[in-house]
Amino acid sequence: MSNTVSEQLTDAIKNTEDGKAKLRKWLNMNFRIEMTDGRVLIGVFLCTDRDANVILGACSEYLKSGDGETEEPRVLGLVMVPGRHIVSIQLDDTTPPQMYCYDE
Amino acid sequence: MGDNDDYYDGDGRMDSLGATPEVIYNWVDITSDFFKHIQDLQLGELLHDGHLFGLFEAMSAIEMMDPKMDAGMLCNRGNPKPLNFQQAVAAGKLKIDDLEPPELIGIIDATMACIVSWLEGHSLAQTVFTNLYLHQPHSIVNKTLKAYCIAVYKLLDCIRDCINKAQVFEEEDFQPMGYGYRLGSNPQSGNTYDARLEVSEQKCVLMLREQEEELNKKARSCDDEDNLWAALQARIRFTRMFYRALLMITKRDSQSGADCVALLNGCSEMMKVIIKTSGKGTQPVENSDSPNPMGFEPMINQRLLPPTFPRYTRIKPRAEALHYFDELVARLRHAWKITSCTNFHTALDFFMEFSRQRACILSRSALQLLYLSPSPANTASMAQSAMNGPVGQPRPQHPFVEILRESVKNFVNPPALTPKSPMVSTPQAREFVENFLARCVRPFAVLLQVCGHNRARQRDKLALLLDEFAALQEEAESVDAVVSGAAGTGPRACFGTWLLYHVLRVMIAYLLSGLELELYSVHEYHYIFWYLYEFLYGWLVSALGRAENLSGDSGRRDSRDSRRRKTKKRVRPYAREGLLCNVMQNLCGGYYKALVAFKLQGKIRQPQSEFDNEAVRYKHRFAPLSVLTPPQVHYHEFCEMTQPLQYENPVILYLGGCKHFQQARSLLETITTPDQEVQDLLKVAKTNFVVLKLLAGGHKRDSTVPPEFDFSVHRHFPIIKLV
Repeated sequence: MSNTVSEQLTDAIKNTEDGKAKLRKWLNMNFRIEMTDGRVLIGVFLCTDRDANVILGACSEYLKSGDGETEEPRVLGLVMVPGRHIVSIQLDDTTPPQMYCYDE
Repeated sequence: MGDNDDYYDGDGRMDSLGATPEVIYNWVDITSDFFKHIQDLQLGELLHDGHLFGLFEAMSAIEMMDPKMDAGMLCNRGNPKPLNFQQAVAAGKLKIDDLEPPELIGIIDATMACIVSWLEGHSLAQTVFTNLYLHQPHSIVNKTLKAYCIAVYKLLDCIRDCINKAQVFEEEDFQPMGYGYRLGSNPQSGNTYDARLEVSEQKCVLMLREQEEELNKKARSCDDEDNLWAALQARIRFTRMFYRALLMITKRDSQSGADCVALLNGCSEMMKVIIKTSGKGTQPVENSDSPNPMGFEPMINQRLLPPTFPRYTRIKPRAEALHYFDELVARLRHAWKITSCTNFHTALDFFMEFSRQRACILSRSALQLLYLSPSPANTASMAQSAMNGPVGQPRPQHPFVEILRESVKNFVNPPALTPKSPMVSTPQAREFVENFLARCVRPFAVLLQVCGHNRARQRDKLALLLDEFAALQEEAESVDAVVSGAAGTGPRACFGTWLLYHVLRVMIAYLLSGLELELYSVHEYHYIFWYLYEFLYGWLVSALGRAENLSGDSGRRDSRDSRRRKTKKRVRPYAREGLLCNVMQNLCGGYYKALVAFKLQGKIRQPQSEFDNEAVRYKHRFAPLSVLTPPQVHYHEFCEMTQPLQYENPVILYLGGCKHFQQARSLLETITTPDQEVQDLLKVAKTNFVVLKLLAGGHKRDSTVPPEFDFSVHRHFPIIKLV
């Protein structure tokens, strides 16, 4: 509570930069998105916007398995998940960022 | 949707995903962070890796949770997960034994509806393979149902084989993919291949026959009014006969054609019984997606489909599907008649007539296979590879060459093809003729193939074909020159005339298809009809006349010594065709004159002049005709030739058009055995005659309401309507 007004301001600016920088750092990393209908998508985070519409590359779709059985994924490729259908986002913290190439 | 092309690998199989090495993820939840950070973005700002990913790539992403793009979404519409075969059996929802006759009839009729839906262009996964019984036919205890399910596998394979061989389908007609179900060879799905479960064609037919006899006994022992066993027997019998008939058509190794005809006739008989008893089976629950209460899971294969697979397939209603089968059998019976068309000329007419009836993909394919074995498509590609082969290699003899040789002989009777002619002894002339005929194989085989395609696709294919014919025309000219030179006679364009006749027919078909497909605007009609009236039909008539003269010439020369034949009345084999050409020419003339008059009276809406360039449109419309002989008539020639009419009195033009329709009508009335086509043309000619007469009399002279062109009676020649 000791922050002055100017400090708060620079903080805010820094945060703004911070937010974008953080998002930028996540680019090309694996994301696991759960959608409102219970399906789970795993793919490479490529793009987003203010409405949290997320584009995933090389994406696979998993049906949420309640009883622990893992089902074969369905390969979808490039998908866009509208922000309003996103329930949760998880980030894969182990793999080094992999590049997703676009030459056919 | 170019991204997904690799899913349609065409061989009908989709390999299951290879065993990927187990990846261990370390998931960290970032939901709240993520939603916080994105608020730092501006409205409309995209955060992305600028080098690798941009807006362009973003456009090709499929949108999740959009029912049109997201095939997986339907799996989760709150429905419970569909049960597979074992689960359904375990849950007591799928009977594999002790089925009642109505249940069996219901399952069979629903399966037929699925097959029809597949033949109308839907995927197997969403139609026939929603039938759970087909997932494990060998696990079914009920013998009738087991035999039927195995037969369906074999039948699907045979249908696909037939359609693949004919190569006259496009993506809108047919989906050959099998989605991992092993059609034909081994009716057991999944990756568990078991050679013991292999069922040969004979075994399949035998199984069905056994069931037929079994059912027949049961039918006889019960003398109920509505004998369900007899209804069931009719279905099994139909399946067996249909399968065998189709096998004969596809494999073409059968000795006697009479067998196939008898089988198809039997199919028709059985279809009558099936349609009559269709109410006896279990019926689909109202408002349900499933075609039958038991045995069908519409969603069972949803996850086998590619990501952007089309929505949801509605299975054809049962009554319509059975009707479709009935007509399909009738079409196959009709297609069989091609086997008695010995003459290429009549065969080609048959192909065109068959296409006009907008037949289904299976009957179109069957027609192809019945005429040429293995198929025109195959003949064309073989001819192509023979042409590209090393020079000097002996040419593979193909029966189609003989068919074409006969066709030339019948049409113009060139001395070069007459055995006794001195020209055959000239090796060079003979070589030229043989080469020419060999070169004809591909374009003419492709022409037959094009006739098998659906109507909308034919137009572009005809345009491509015209290019090939252009090259052939040059060759025909030189052959005629060499042959005439060797014989020391005057120039006689025998081969050229034969080819010209076919080229003109293709040209006409190309221009007319634009009317049928509604590609032209009304303000374009006048030069389309002008071209047909002034040139193409006129040329066709003269080509036919020339052919008659040429064949007559050689006929006279041959029979110089036998006086008796000379006095015989000359037959005119193309009289009817020539007459019809005259009719068409008059019809086109009538339309042309009427259209010019309409234009002069301001009755036809013209494009805004600043957006319009008639020369460009004209060039575009006739572009495919530009490479051939006779040369294309250019736009400036069109302008010059039609200039005088621009100052004509519309009344005179209407009267001129009236005369044309009158002429067409009286020509048509000379035909003693009018078929449907002739009757339709007659109706068009009569009506338009009256309409133009009214117009000439000043009816609605000052009205600028555009006249209507009604193509409902004839696909190419409309009835003019004043409104």
